[in-house]
Amino acid sequence: MAGASRVFCGLSGGVDSALACALLVERGYDVTAVYMRNWSQDLPGFRCPWADDLADAERVAVTLGIPLEVWDCEDEYRATVVDYLVDAYARGYTPNPDVMCNQTIKFGTFVDRALERGADLVATGHYGRVERGDDGRTRLLRALDEHKDQTYFLWRVGEEALSRALLPVGEIRDKAEVRRMCAERGLGVEAKPDSDGICFVGPVGIRTFLLDALERRAGDVVEWETGRVLGRHDGAFLFTVGQRKGLDLGGGPARYVVSTDTEENVVYVTADHDSPALFCRELTLEDVRWISGDAPAPGRYLVRTRHTGELREALLDGSVLRFDEPVRRVAPGQSAVVYDGLRCLGGGVVRRDGPFVSPESE
Amino acid sequence: MTAGAGREVYLDYAAATPVDPEVAAVMLPYLTERFWNPSAPYARAREVRDDVERARGTLARLIGARPDNLVFTAGATEANNLAFAAVDGHVVVDAIEHESVLACAGMHARRTVRVGADGLVDPAAVARAIRPDTELVSVELANGEVGCIQPVRDISRVVAAERARRLEAGEKTPIYLHSDASQAAGALSVNVGSLGVDMLTLSAAKVYGPKQVGVLWASDDVRLRPLVYGGGQEGGVRSGTENVAGVVGFARALELASERRAEESRRLAGLRERLRSALASELPWVVVSGPRNPKRRLPGLLHVSFAGIEARRLVIALEREGVSVGTGSACAASRMRVSHVLDAIGMPRPLAEGSLRLTLGRPTTEGDVDYAAAAIVRCVRAEMARLGRDDESQAALAAALGAGAGGV
Repeated sequence: MAGASRVFCGLSGGVDSALACALLVERGYDVTAVYMRNWSQDLPGFRCPWADDLADAERVAVTLGIPLEVWDCEDEYRATVVDYLVDAYARGYTPNPDVMCNQTIKFGTFVDRALERGADLVATGHYGRVERGDDGRTRLLRALDEHKDQTYFLWRVGEEALSRALLPVGEIRDKAEVRRMCAERGLGVEAKPDSDGICFVGPVGIRTFLLDALERRAGDVVEWETGRVLGRHDGAFLFTVGQRKGLDLGGGPARYVVSTDTEENVVYVTADHDSPALFCRELTLEDVRWISGDAPAPGRYLVRTRHTGELREALLDGSVLRFDEPVRRVAPGQSAVVYDGLRCLGGGVVRRDGPFVSPESE
Repeated sequence: MTAGAGREVYLDYAAATPVDPEVAAVMLPYLTERFWNPSAPYARAREVRDDVERARGTLARLIGARPDNLVFTAGATEANNLAFAAVDGHVVVDAIEHESVLACAGMHARRTVRVGADGLVDPAAVARAIRPDTELVSVELANGEVGCIQPVRDISRVVAAERARRLEAGEKTPIYLHSDASQAAGALSVNVGSLGVDMLTLSAAKVYGPKQVGVLWASDDVRLRPLVYGGGQEGGVRSGTENVAGVVGFARALELASERRAEESRRLAGLRERLRSALASELPWVVVSGPRNPKRRLPGLLHVSFAGIEARRLVIALEREGVSVGTGSACAASRMRVSHVLDAIGMPRPLAEGSLRLTLGRPTTEGDVDYAAAAIVRCVRAEMARLGRDDESQAALAAALGAGAGGV
């Protein structure tokens, strides 16, 4: 079909990118696989599996008879993803590192280097679809498999980079099918587990990573309604809006984080799961980006505030999203992604609304 | 997918050997019914203690030593560490020692002696590297990657000469010679007297015994200092309840190796030559490393390099054909570095990255060798096709990389 178009395809050692490479080879592209080594650091209780992943990637490349290159992206990754993440947490945000990684590494450094090397196109194993219109414009659509769709993490990728991208796995209707297709091709990765969560913290979770990067700092856990001190915590940066686990208050009812104040190092909680403090009617966005480069006209769109989360209607007005009904609060730093039907338009980062004021101190 | 209809050929005996069924048989009772702690006071436990001492005696006899000079360890790496812990001062090692020796040397003031293109250490170079404050020289008996057998006997004369000089000059600093014979014990005599060493490391895992069982022999002149403290076992040098099954198995394994050594070495040398000639006749530009003189290399080891072909890919392709091979020391392979051994013998990177270490063992047959040779040729040719190369361009590349320094 595409003759000898040269494609550089990211190959992580996982199921999705393995199948992406295989499909491109079958479609007649001249494929070079690239393992991007972004991170190789171990954490207490978590051995970074990069060497095993690379070995799996190699097995796939040899099976497909395509070259595999290892690109060291650790410096860029540290600067734009890891440092960004630590800094954001320290300031009381709950960032999405995957969003940054896609923008700066996979659809940044990787695309730039591939084009320099003479690539016509780049590809990844992401669940999303790229639509090339007759008007010469490129659009990002949600994956055919809505349960796996990853456009929530792709909203900061610009049209320019997308216009060079192939996302073959986004056209497959479900993950079981992806695994079956890998098995059929003898790629040897079909049984690998899905890698959910932040890759460089693995199963130990963000708390261990943050405690490795930031200093513990004892502070108060305060009941939002009364201002009463309920207990102590290890650092307000460890908590996020809506969080229930990890609060050590010595029994009593389950409590939810309403807000954190990293400057005063206070965590506000409530025992009321339906507390109005846990809901909001609008979100103000900052760092807004639109894939096409142009802001969509004000109006009603679909909005998603977490990966594969519910798509809700909201009114977009400048950088403010208004919901018809109160919705659960979204932690500052998380992405709000805007869709027009299947099409991902872009989005913004949920803003932190000034110093939090509890009703008691008003 | 696998062309060989399920045939499995293992050619990485330098990395690990299967436990000989006879060895497993003598070990088994100590895992189940004879489980007692050798330090316990009742009669049965004392029987087990006697069994440990019998094993020590067997090993001592096989290396021409007295039993009390043997310390059991959890493998060769620990034995090497124990040898280096006996000294504080300057040490001399060669550049192709095992990582455990290089890492220990790294914690001392040291001189690293270069090796030749065939991997051999020149005893005169060792003599030049020795300083008046040198306390330890460590040279392995045989290298597990390119297979060279070091002139340990000649190096012991160098050390003895320095010792004599110090005695005459009234200098009190002692100097010892240590040799890691882990890779050699299956093929070579490891008699401490004829080698002229002061300390010797052996591993059960390389002679069809269990893993994590090793021994350090040290002469009466050496005062070993413990790295592991506790109940004072092994004369206080290595605390921890004795690995009874392990040391009993080790003794039987070395006994079998000694009995079969001459015949097995001849057999392996024949198989190695069969493999070499099969590869060289199909791929005449293949580069073989290691000493040319068969007396100077391990009989069952063949180190080959395919210029500009990635060995890491060959390993995967061969695995799909049922053939397991190594690319060098397993430690280097897992970290994606070019082996320090190939670096030290001056092999250019594109050749080093195309290197396979093929090691044959007791279970290897002529049929295995023929199958593996055919599979290697197939996989190399498939990579050549992918890269658009032919024999002529491969030969030119090998020549440009200065191939030919190696052996046959």
